[in-house]
Amino acid sequence: MTEFLQQLLNGVLLGAIYALIALGYTMVYGVLRFINFAHSDVFMLGAFAAWVSVEKLGLPTRSVPGGLAALLAAMSVCAVLGVVIERLAYRPLRQRSTLTVLITAIGVSLLIQNVAQSPRLGFGPNPRAFPELFPSSQLHVGGLTVSTHQLVVLAVALVLLAVLYWIVHRTRIGTAMRALSFNATAASLVGIDNDRVISFTFGLGSALAGAGGVLYAMNYPSIDPLMGTLPGLKAFVAAVLGGIGNLPGAALGGLVIGLVETFVSGTRLSTFRDAIAFGILIAILLFRPAGLLGRPRVEKV
Amino acid sequence: MSASASLLQLTGVTIRFGGLTAVSSVTADVREGELAGLIGPNGAGKTTLFNLITGVYQPTDGRIDFAGSGTAGRRPFHLTGLGIARTFQNIRLFPSLSVAENVRVAFHRHLRHRAWHSILRGRAFLAEEAELAERALELLGIFNLERFRDAPARSLSYGDQRRLEIVRALATRPRLLLLDEPAAGMNPSEKDELMRLIRFVRDRFGLAVLLVEHDMKVVMGICERIHVLEYGRKIAEGSPAEIRADPKVIAAYLGD
Amino acid sequence: MAIPKAQRWLLVALVLSGAASAVSGSIDPYFLDVVMGVGVGVVLASSLNLINGFTGQFSLGHAGFMAVGAYTSAMLSTVVAPRMGWGAGALQWVFFPASLVAGGLVAALAGLAVGAPSLRLKGDYLAIVTLGFGEIIRVVLQNVDAVGGARGLTGVPTHTNLLWTFGTASLTVYTVWALLESTRGRGFLAVADDEVAAEAMGLDTTRYKITAFGIGSFFAGVAGGLYAHLKGYLNPGGFSFEKSIEIVVMVILGGMGRHAGVVFAAILLTLLPEGLRELGSRSIPNPFGGPAWSLDWIKDARMILYSLLLILLMLLRPEGLFHRRQPRRPSS
Ligand SMILES: Nc1ncnc2c1ncn2[C@@H]1O[C@H](COP(=O)(O)OP(=O)(O)OP(=O)(O)O)[C@@H](O)[C@H]1O
Ligand SMILES: [Mg+2]
Repeated sequence: MTEFLQQLLNGVLLGAIYALIALGYTMVYGVLRFINFAHSDVFMLGAFAAWVSVEKLGLPTRSVPGGLAALLAAMSVCAVLGVVIERLAYRPLRQRSTLTVLITAIGVSLLIQNVAQSPRLGFGPNPRAFPELFPSSQLHVGGLTVSTHQLVVLAVALVLLAVLYWIVHRTRIGTAMRALSFNATAASLVGIDNDRVISFTFGLGSALAGAGGVLYAMNYPSIDPLMGTLPGLKAFVAAVLGGIGNLPGAALGGLVIGLVETFVSGTRLSTFRDAIAFGILIAILLFRPAGLLGRPRVEKV
Repeated sequence: MSASASLLQLTGVTIRFGGLTAVSSVTADVREGELAGLIGPNGAGKTTLFNLITGVYQPTDGRIDFAGSGTAGRRPFHLTGLGIARTFQNIRLFPSLSVAENVRVAFHRHLRHRAWHSILRGRAFLAEEAELAERALELLGIFNLERFRDAPARSLSYGDQRRLEIVRALATRPRLLLLDEPAAGMNPSEKDELMRLIRFVRDRFGLAVLLVEHDMKVVMGICERIHVLEYGRKIAEGSPAEIRADPKVIAAYLGD
Repeated sequence: MAIPKAQRWLLVALVLSGAASAVSGSIDPYFLDVVMGVGVGVVLASSLNLINGFTGQFSLGHAGFMAVGAYTSAMLSTVVAPRMGWGAGALQWVFFPASLVAGGLVAALAGLAVGAPSLRLKGDYLAIVTLGFGEIIRVVLQNVDAVGGARGLTGVPTHTNLLWTFGTASLTVYTVWALLESTRGRGFLAVADDEVAAEAMGLDTTRYKITAFGIGSFFAGVAGGLYAHLKGYLNPGGFSFEKSIEIVVMVILGGMGRHAGVVFAAILLTLLPEGLRELGSRSIPNPFGGPAWSLDWIKDARMILYSLLLILLMLLRPEGLFHRRQPRRPSS
């Protein structure tokens, strides 16, 4: 039983991180109807931004203010990056086919990975130890082991989800985002500046991915330039599972993927862990292509 | 089958998109060899009805029979194989194919060669290809398009594209031809020519035509029977003279 | 059809491959290796062109099908052939192509298995699902000890020579070309252009797409077999989705649905990295005296240039480098 609860806890925490990344995919899909392949690399850069702010800029480790500062730094760097990527690579393609944009996104993803892997321009290909951002200790609660890092993950994820909910439902720009994802033409007709909303969406989604990167790195000892690929793909699956374009769906999908993965890791199938997410993806697309919370659409002819 | 038997029979056909009932309990028929019209104000559900007949959408309720058998659950290509062909209101030619290729692709249901014949490229295959090229030209000739045969379909003028869509539909050898606003964007003399061609094609190939058209002169000029839709419901049916005099139709068009 | 004796070209290509193969003993082995890699690249790109270019699908899993073919034929050569005594002598000339075809068939089955369920999906969704399938294949290979697991499969006999590579390359290009160059084959393009209209004209779009997936994966599998017997070892990591992207880029650069363009792009993109690697290992003399300038950075910048090229291509010439901006040549 404790074993089960422990796994449940670990799964929820991993799921929370996937949820943060999945939200970025879903938001961008909502406003632009395409899969931002480079999102997983923004996630990776989030982890590296925190690493730089500690290792190179000297933010204190094992301190709550230091950790929060590193987290905020990572989120800001990623937000800016997301906006810049959209501005330079995607905006000129606004009227082009989905595939053109998708391939561009793959190109951007490869570019980020390769620059990051370059010893001269980036961080080099080798993994680096990730510093302990927050004070770390293990707490024992009735047989369960919880690290303070895990608590940080939970707290940060919950706060960010609350903030996101507030932005989307209570602010003008959030309303504009929802309008845009409902109907882009109508949105621009009622005077919404689509470009500004899209920039904002990229910034917001990327900031969440950056936070996800830091939280992910905190629970894994090392970071490297290709670390984004797998979590990114899994988060994407989470977004599709929840119903792409649907924010609560992305959060739910993240949780489901995190839980499934954690429970599978505990079994003999653990080496197939990374294939599980894709199995889920294929199953959803076959049986419920609109996702758990999404609504099917009929193509107009 | 006698000349007056119905080829297409719609019974209580309904489709809902979310909250919107685009077509509501429509009962109508098209007889073998008939030139029928379907009219109604914008958004009345005419195109949606075409999509239902051709299997693009499945009705939420009601049934559709073509040539005596139900069409429920059949995919569009299958219905085309049974003899339903259509044109599209928003022209949907194959832009990367030439004019002649657009027509030839539509011979698909009647091809003798299989995919691997094209790899072996034997004599029978080449002969069939030559024959198809010939037939495509013949059909294009009816609509005076044969001189464009090698031009990309998208380079044609708007009116020619509409005509090419009709030729392409004819190439499937339909028994029922659904035309969605074929006269849109044509000038009066082109419209007259189109009316003549529709009649000619009906007689030559012995098919039934169901025509959606906003131009009343065209509809009244060639249709033998007209169905009128408003807000997804059928409000009238009759000869052009009857429709012209129907107060409900007049109200629908003039607005109440 | 314009060339009644299209097979003549195929024959010429096959004879040339044979002739080149006969004199390959006198060719520098490194160079030979690169050239055969080009042939494999052409097979991969042309077959993906059928799926992504002509039929308008978007597969990101080509490397997965290549892996299936590679492992199948490699297992046949390393396990079955020695046991039956088929691996050596004249029998090898029958067994090796048979193992390539077997690899192709198993890959085609995998392609059909992937294609059938995924085909209701469009564009980026399809891309992701095929990517997912490709990754699943890789993960499974990594976990099956019988095929070497993560360590890879070694000791594959190096049967691949110029005849097999360029013979296969010619056959692939010919097959894709001939398939398209027919009334039935034009249906692939129609499906790519407009599925709704294609269905309305009586085309079973699902069947077209599945056929494209099946044939495309078949040749990817054959390419995998060639690759396995060229390198002599297999490593699941070599069939990652980066490899799939590489093939996709060949198709895009060649102008999606252009026969010659894609062949050319495959040649270019296989040679380019080799050329840059070669260049990177040199240095140029310093005209001001002092130590020579190392060109080592090129090795480093190679992949960066590659990704920049991809982005710029999409921004400036999304129709590919070799697109003539003219209609395709009509087929009659
Ligand atoms: N796939 C769909 N999803 C949602 N609503 C739809 C869909 N297809 C059609 N509709 C709606 O159904 C109604 C009928 O549309 P339809 O295109 O059939 O009208 P129409 O009679 O052809 O009009 P027009 O003369 O303008 O062509 C419209 O309100 C349209 O918005
Ligand atoms: Mg309409």
